[in-house]
Amino acid sequence: MKKLEGMHIRKLGLAIVVLVMLTGCSENGIRIHNDSSENARKAEEVFIKDKDLTAVVTVFHDKDLLTGVTLKTFSRFKKEKIEKELKKKLEELYPELDITVSADGKIWMEANKLINSDHEKDLGEKIDKLKLLLKEET
Amino acid sequence: MDEKKYAQLEQQTSPKTPLLRNVIFAFLTGGTICLIGQFIALFYMTFFDFTERTASNPTVATMVFFSMLLTGFGQYKKIGQLGGAGSAVPITGFGNAVISAAIEHKSEGYVLGVGGNMFKLAGAVILFGVFSAFVVALIKTILVKFGVISW
Repeated sequence: MKKLEGMHIRKLGLAIVVLVMLTGCSENGIRIHNDSSENARKAEEVFIKDKDLTAVVTVFHDKDLLTGVTLKTFSRFKKEKIEKELKKKLEELYPELDITVSADGKIWMEANKLINSDHEKDLGEKIDKLKLLLKEET
Repeated sequence: MDEKKYAQLEQQTSPKTPLLRNVIFAFLTGGTICLIGQFIALFYMTFFDFTERTASNPTVATMVFFSMLLTGFGQYKKIGQLGGAGSAVPITGFGNAVISAAIEHKSEGYVLGVGGNMFKLAGAVILFGVFSAFVVALIKTILVKFGVISW
């Protein structure tokens, strides 16, 4: 009975490992949504040059620039530093925009949703909400 | 038979600890628990307004709750037998320690038995957790005051 239980869990473990490996690196690339008057091309070049990034989602809207990025596994340890550097680079390119850069998975997820949903009207509201979420401390 | 001889005899007769097997199973069990925790964190991020950073609190609470349920239904000891430290070190071990102590002392009554002994094992975790948090916060406050690092 004991042996059987061990076997069962081992099989389950194997299934989980296979599942994780298959779903591991599914999405990557750069998505940019631009409905402002800025040129998004410059930002794209910055993202391509950065070797730590695996996927980028950027939304330009009025005076806001929201960027969600996912990092390579071991770059995640210096997440905050990479966020800061990227923000600095973008601020140099777009000095008049309010820039938010985050390596948080939530922002990446929500930015993707924003682009997919195409709700142009309340885009600014949603971006403001995400900025508030990032400031949340609890 | 003196002490030395007895120790020698004891070592010869007792079965050898399968160290490598234990380590591997502990690794896999702990890893699986953490994987489940990761999925729960993802759940909170997808369906609620939690970021990666803030999702950790409800995730911890949920994991403790799950392990408490499993302990109550007598399933967690099976995981513990298989995984050893792999099931005790993650936060689920905390829930297990609380509920197993509560079950053990149920026969002594609900107030002095369950209430008095519930945190017999987990009390040490809470005490030293709070104390070490206090010490770390104190060190950080001093360092910030002297301008070595910033918040």
